[in-house]
Amino acid sequence: MTHVLIVDDSKLMRAMVAVCLRPLGEVDFVFAGTGLEAIEQLALAGFDLVVLDLDMPELGGLEVTEFVRTQDRLRGLPILIVTSRGDAESRARLMAAGASSFLEKPFAPQQILQQARQLLRSEAAA
Amino acid sequence: MTTLHVTFRVGTADYALPAAQVLHLESFEIATHVPGAPTYVAGLMQVRGRVVPVVDLRLRFGLASIEHTIDHRVVVVQVGTRVAGLLVDSAREVVQLDETSFAQPPEILDRQSAGFVTAVATLANRLFLLIDVSRIIGEELTHA
Amino acid sequence: MNEPNEPIDLQEFLGAFVVEAEELIATANASLLEIETAIGDATSRPRAVRELFRALHTIKGLASMIGVEPIVEIAHALETLVRAADRAGGSLHRGAVEIALQAVGAIAERVRAVAEHREVTKAPEALLAEIASTEAGSVASIPEAAIPPEWRTRLSPSERQQLALALEARVPVWTLSFVPSEANAARGITITTVRAGLGAIGEIVKVIPRSVAATADVKLGVAFDILIASDATQLAIAEAASTDPERVFPLVQRVPTPAAELDLDSFEPVERDDGGAILGRAVVRVELPRLDDLQDQLSLLIASRFRLEREIGCFSELGHNVQRLHEIVRIQGRLLRDLRRAILRARMVKVTEVLEPLTILVRSLARSGGTVVQLELDACEVELDKAVADRLLPALIHLVRNAVDHAIELPDQRVALGKPRAAKVRVSCIEVAGNYLEIVVSDDGRGIDRAAIARRANCPIDDDARLLEVLTSPGFSTRDVPTKTSGRGIGMDIVRRIASDLGGELSMTTQLGAGTSFTLRVPVTIAVMDVFSFQCGPQAFVVPTAVVDEVIEVDAERIVVPLNLHADGTASPLSLIERRGHAIPVVSLGALLAIDSGKRARKALVIRRNGDPIAFTVDRMIGRQEVVVRTIDDALVNVPGIAGTTDLGDGRPTLVLDLNELGIMARERGME
Repeated sequence: MTHVLIVDDSKLMRAMVAVCLRPLGEVDFVFAGTGLEAIEQLALAGFDLVVLDLDMPELGGLEVTEFVRTQDRLRGLPILIVTSRGDAESRARLMAAGASSFLEKPFAPQQILQQARQLLRSEAAA
Repeated sequence: MTTLHVTFRVGTADYALPAAQVLHLESFEIATHVPGAPTYVAGLMQVRGRVVPVVDLRLRFGLASIEHTIDHRVVVVQVGTRVAGLLVDSAREVVQLDETSFAQPPEILDRQSAGFVTAVATLANRLFLLIDVSRIIGEELTHA
Repeated sequence: MNEPNEPIDLQEFLGAFVVEAEELIATANASLLEIETAIGDATSRPRAVRELFRALHTIKGLASMIGVEPIVEIAHALETLVRAADRAGGSLHRGAVEIALQAVGAIAERVRAVAEHREVTKAPEALLAEIASTEAGSVASIPEAAIPPEWRTRLSPSERQQLALALEARVPVWTLSFVPSEANAARGITITTVRAGLGAIGEIVKVIPRSVAATADVKLGVAFDILIASDATQLAIAEAASTDPERVFPLVQRVPTPAAELDLDSFEPVERDDGGAILGRAVVRVELPRLDDLQDQLSLLIASRFRLEREIGCFSELGHNVQRLHEIVRIQGRLLRDLRRAILRARMVKVTEVLEPLTILVRSLARSGGTVVQLELDACEVELDKAVADRLLPALIHLVRNAVDHAIELPDQRVALGKPRAAKVRVSCIEVAGNYLEIVVSDDGRGIDRAAIARRANCPIDDDARLLEVLTSPGFSTRDVPTKTSGRGIGMDIVRRIASDLGGELSMTTQLGAGTSFTLRVPVTIAVMDVFSFQCGPQAFVVPTAVVDEVIEVDAERIVVPLNLHADGTASPLSLIERRGHAIPVVSLGALLAIDSGKRARKALVIRRNGDPIAFTVDRMIGRQEVVVRTIDDALVNVPGIAGTTDLGDGRPTLVLDLNELGIMARERGME
């Protein structure tokens, strides 16, 4: 069973990502609408992948990524950033903060599925 | 997939425990006898600031007790929140055991060690008996 | 559900898109109106600007996924403008608000078109051009001097403005923490509900996640530090966040400080209004001896239950069905265990309280030593027994003092070494398995030169464990050695003794040039008792002095033996002894514990059981002392008569006997 945490303040976006990732097989999706909720969810259970939006109230994706990487327990957790921000600076900052991968909106369902598969595979191998 | 195991000797047999359950190995001098405790409980020992009950595995396995030698060791294990010591004749090796090589213990063996042995592993022509630590320290007693 | 090979068509989400887009448009409009009103009041609304940005950003993202280009274009243009405003401190001027309202209107039109399956017209060029040429904000920014340094570094410009505005408007600003846990979640309390609750009574400026010790309830230890501006009462805020009013603080330095340098001279902590802090929460000061009394009473209760159990056993032997009785007694056992735990909890104090005095200590030491030191207290939510805390504090003071006095280099030296000017001394604590606490005192100072110590001690030192042994050997002092790499001063043997007295351990690691770290591992709950120590045969035991009425001499003349008189004069099980004109039952403790003493019992401890005295003979009294008693409840050694263990100084566990229970046992065996 794969556990995926989808973090985005848009309900529709969360649903779309979930639909795109269903072909992964036996997946359990947990949704969080803010960076805070995301961290809370991570505190209460384990996940195999986090799909993370950047701009969210109070705590954004960058800060969540930074915080997650300070936790020993979550060192290997793959973080896939999904955002409309396409600029190189954001991308660089996020990768430096420890994001595993970066996907710009709009993306095709196949793209995010591929990325997710790749990240899950390399996590399992680790 | 191989896992690290701590091995030790009690009587004429070699036993093994997953290293993950073992906190550390201590030499054995003396344990404080606890009147009224089961005979196989050697007593209490102070180990790295903790007071742990020590189970004499010889007695637990139905063997006669012997005089203590410098080879004697106490294998300090942790099961859940309980920490206990296992007094053994000697504990020298740490080996990698391949779980796929684990087999059911033969019936005779099982009867003798009263269900403490869960499986038998082979490594380079040597036989290791894998034991159920929870059973040995009487995990069922805690739920009484 | 889609088959793995079927392409996923996001057009299915069109309906959902319309719904969410309209919600976002409503949010955007509301934010714009708020901002416009604020302009009228010559102020700004950074939070509203942030919300506006997010709404636009989300619309853009959704529209791009669904594939409505014109909406993407308009949203993108406006978003750029609003982002610039947010980055500059979060204000928009009237012109910008006007154009923004127009743009949002244009988006709304097109969303309608999508909903009605009409064609979506292109983004109007004129509008896009106007947006591009509009400047962002111009309401003068508020000076931010009032914001404490450690919050300043963690807030964005817009958030700083928001905070500064609140402070300027004299809206009270509070900090508090929320720790998510499974227990909280089960009650429906999550960071989301807390956020909503707080948002309803104030304006949240920022929420920052912080690592805390993991617990059984929460595997990944996290706490959320919340900064909120609100006119509501401390009590209301506490309620909204499901915490205690005591833990809602006016803006003070209560969050873990980052490595910002403290200017010791100008450092004035904000006064906490203690009168108002204890709102609606009952706190009672209890003296420790009273809790000790409670524990004694509990022991008697436990003994009584054992007795009940035995009687039930007798009853069942007569053929009666005692299942229900057994059940009731079993539940009693559990209730008593819970009660014992509750009493132990009443003795607990928070680690943070224990560590507080250290801050003042560090400040004064650093000032007199000419060093710049910052004390970082990473105190978790852990509590520990007051008795442990009282004994622990001197040890911690020793360690911290040693660190500041000996390990920290002068500021200029540090800078020359490439280290930050301000040294850091960190005291942190975490709970570890088996009911222990690990308190770590670490510094980024000189480190200890093993080679130098080895020379001084005239013996080889291979590792840190050996180094610690040498440093803590009594009489070893490094005071005479030039301070540069001499390591710690005196007092280390005391620290180690404190640790082992408590039933714990002291360990250390050090790296020359980088710093040193000491770890004290101590049990979380213990009890300190006054006890009599004595011997039965070769084994030593102790009993609490509180239960002992008297210690009397035992000699042959005083023993009144009704029946079984042994040739050697030793008291047989059924014996009486003369005491103060009465004949009281006397039991051989050695015999009861099946210990072959081979000696004549010389002394006896007299206790009272249900008002009746009974004497226990022992071979030799050792003495009377105060010891740390640790309860043991491992199933393997859960026997009646043993209350716990202690260490009389020989490093081995010595059993603490419960004479009440033993008295019952004696009776059962027909020994009295």
